[in-house]
Amino acid sequence: MSAVLTDMQGAVAPATTKAIAPSRGQRPWTFYVLASLFTLYVLALYGPMICIYILSFQDIRGGLVFPMKGHSLHWFVDLFTQVRTGDVKGSFDRSIKLAVIVTIITVVISFLAGLGFRRRFAGDAVVFYMMIGSLVAPGLVLGLGTGLLFQALGLNASWYTSALGAQLSWTLPFGVLVMFAVMSRYNRAWDEAAYDLGASRWQTIWLVIVPVLAPGIVAVALFGFTLSYDEFARSLQTAGSLNTLPLEIWSMTLNVTSPSLYALGTVTTIISFIVIGASLGTIVLIQKKRGSRAKG
Amino acid sequence: MTIERGDIELAGVCKSFDGVTNVVDGVNLKIADGAYCCFIGPSGCGKTTILRMIAGHEDPTAGEIVIGGQNVVGLAPVQRRTAMMFQSYALFPHLTVRDNIAFALRVRGLSKADRLRAADAMIEKVRLTSFADRLPAQLSGGQQQRVALARAAITEPRVLLLDEPLSALDEQLRVQMRQELRRMQQELGITFIHVTHTQLEAIALADLVVVMEQGRIKQAGRARDVYAHPHDRYVAEFMGGQNVLSGRVEKVNGASFVLAQAAPGGIEVPLQARAKISVGDTVDIAVRRDDVTLVRPGQALPAGCSTSLPSRVLAIEYQGYFVKVMLDAVPDDEFVAYVPEKTFFADPLNVGDVVLATWTTDRARPLA
Amino acid sequence: MQSSQTPPRANLAGWLCVSPLVAVLVPFFVAPILVVLAASFFATDGFGGLTPGFTLSNYIEVLHSALTLKLYLATIKFTVLTWIFTLIIGFFVAYFLVFHVRNQLLAIGLFLLCTVPFWTSNIIRMISWIPLLGKEGLINQALLATGAIHQPLEVLLFSDLAVVIAYVHQLTIFMIVPIFNSMARIDKKLIEAAIDAGASRFDIMRLIVVPMSKSGIALGTIFVVSIVMGDFFVVKVMSGGGSASVVSAFYEDVGVLQYPTAAASAVLLTLVLVAVVSLILRTVDIRQEITR
Repeated sequence: MSAVLTDMQGAVAPATTKAIAPSRGQRPWTFYVLASLFTLYVLALYGPMICIYILSFQDIRGGLVFPMKGHSLHWFVDLFTQVRTGDVKGSFDRSIKLAVIVTIITVVISFLAGLGFRRRFAGDAVVFYMMIGSLVAPGLVLGLGTGLLFQALGLNASWYTSALGAQLSWTLPFGVLVMFAVMSRYNRAWDEAAYDLGASRWQTIWLVIVPVLAPGIVAVALFGFTLSYDEFARSLQTAGSLNTLPLEIWSMTLNVTSPSLYALGTVTTIISFIVIGASLGTIVLIQKKRGSRAKG
Repeated sequence: MTIERGDIELAGVCKSFDGVTNVVDGVNLKIADGAYCCFIGPSGCGKTTILRMIAGHEDPTAGEIVIGGQNVVGLAPVQRRTAMMFQSYALFPHLTVRDNIAFALRVRGLSKADRLRAADAMIEKVRLTSFADRLPAQLSGGQQQRVALARAAITEPRVLLLDEPLSALDEQLRVQMRQELRRMQQELGITFIHVTHTQLEAIALADLVVVMEQGRIKQAGRARDVYAHPHDRYVAEFMGGQNVLSGRVEKVNGASFVLAQAAPGGIEVPLQARAKISVGDTVDIAVRRDDVTLVRPGQALPAGCSTSLPSRVLAIEYQGYFVKVMLDAVPDDEFVAYVPEKTFFADPLNVGDVVLATWTTDRARPLA
Repeated sequence: MQSSQTPPRANLAGWLCVSPLVAVLVPFFVAPILVVLAASFFATDGFGGLTPGFTLSNYIEVLHSALTLKLYLATIKFTVLTWIFTLIIGFFVAYFLVFHVRNQLLAIGLFLLCTVPFWTSNIIRMISWIPLLGKEGLINQALLATGAIHQPLEVLLFSDLAVVIAYVHQLTIFMIVPIFNSMARIDKKLIEAAIDAGASRFDIMRLIVVPMSKSGIALGTIFVVSIVMGDFFVVKVMSGGGSASVVSAFYEDVGVLQYPTAAASAVLLTLVLVAVVSLILRTVDIRQEITR
């Protein structure tokens, strides 16, 4: 994922000269083959999602497949009013709250870990591979382990304790990996220059490191929020009695066969897109601000 | 305790990163207050490490670093009254020229109005007023260097440390910025320590040139002394402009000795201060390339020349105001004559021509 | 200026910085794994109660079951198929973006276009295949309309095909990103030099692009393999209950409170996963790759 941000940093993005496809003139036939493949991939990526967004706007006669039966917001209303679809509103609230908490913790811990990993230290490999392990371990197994652990300790599993921890074991590795990519563009001489000019450790962090890395930190926040907001496998055994939104969707896939399901998909995707848009917008804005101040 | 003067003394300074090999190995040196000192040597010779130890970015493994009469080991750069100009400048990419320069004042807690006033005065001094609101990425290399200089100078240091300050610039700009560095140094009246691997840069700028090899100082002295009177083969070859010849001493007579050579009569070299030379020793001698005169066989040697090495022209390079003629005068070493352009073209040589290389006897010097 | 012996002060600072990370990973990664490991040796009363003790009967039960082999074969089948498709698509998409898109801003924009769905719900992306692949879905409708088939194809949804489609849909992104990263670092002058030396398009691909993208491929493979092997809900939903994998069986076991056998099977799966991942890690220094 790291490339997204590193390339948004705009500093040393992939070289512009394309040797295989010369930078001007006739394109080779491979270009057209690959361009078609790319187009097909993007269509397959977005096509199905767009289908369910469209189908969620059917009226009361609507079914799970095309053709569209009327146009209305019926299923959105249904989603938030019908008891049979479960506690959508409550789980929605919980998911947002949880995602915000996870985001804050992920940003702080990933930033610190990113600072720590800049230098080698004894035992750093242990921490690193622990993190990779946490990333690749089957979520359901980890979730069950966490659930059993809470049970054994006599603690109640709930979304803000066990599920929070279980989600952090998923978002933190991503956050730290993104920090790695961001830090690799950070010049250690900036730290030394700050020290040379009399800045304390904290002043260096606040006046140099944080502002320089700001776009990357926003990206870590994006990962933290969206991964938590959509997290499912690790929350399943750890969320306790109250569902998060993905758990609600999961139970709906098992027993709801109306376009309500699609309506929920549309709503949750809109939230995701707002968050993605806001994050990417912020990153672009920071870059732009830096660029335009220059012309003053 | 405040440091008021910028004189520096290094006493037995050593630095090891791995506990086994010394990157800096017992360096002793005195640098006068307000001097322009250049450290020169190949990469990995320890010159940058010395600079960073004076700056306070590394601690010496052993030895003392004294600035203005005080041992500064363990002190922060600001307490040392040093400031460093980093290689490729390390300007903060998110701050404008003005904010970069005002950074030191900001971390000292100066009010915004005060620090901007001070920064603007400094910006004017380095003639960057019209660029004050730009970011480093929008400046040319020369402008970035001036920002770096101003950012360091605003802390009112007694010592300014420059790590290869000109290496990021192209040739023309380098010469121009060289002059600017010298001007700034005189204007500020403080000690400059400048690390470089370019000989020309060192001798053009420095009051004190320090030649280093493998963590040790090989020779320290005024630019002209180091260039014209290199102490040994290493310094002579590194500083350039010298032919270094090696041979066995054939005889010692009074004020000079004779080095055995293929040439008839050998090479006569004045003893000078170096008295401890006896027959049978292997000795290196140096002859400046611009002291060598080339004479066609059969012509008379100029007055004062006692040595002549018959040789063949291997290659000729036109250098503008002189011509570089490479010869096979000695078997193992490179031998080059710098012939003034007018002299050369009065009787142009060709590759393969046979000539006699000669020089006024008192221009040859024995090396340590 | 690398030091082989890190000074104690640097060690302390390093540990101080990563200590919050460790403080999360120990209770929520290390401890749960150990709990599952412990549970795999416990006996059960069959109603969710665990009796602490040490028995290998859970492992014996899992290993003796004919079902286990079937589950592993199914899991391996899904993993391999998904890996092949994500690798081919991911490699060529990355290749297109790095080597064929001339405008750099456009390349970054297209790259983002590929990555945005990563930040949206997997479950929603999975169920979004229903209107397309279903018995009355768009694909069947289209095929019927063209006359290519006369009966709707049942094999599209709730089948192994649907499972693989859903995996590839979700996971190709994990191939694209690391491969894109590796490829973007290839110095374009290398390729120009190869062209000058008379290399064909195929030679360049075989001798330069593929070897230099190896670390990206390895990284992507780790992601894809570990996710497919650890997944249960794609298999459960997209196969319509017709297929099962190791973890989906684990999910069923947990559902009926068979914790010890579930734990034993989870431990075995983790061992397999660790073996596969470490095999891949032998070909690439993942840490150097990521921190570079």
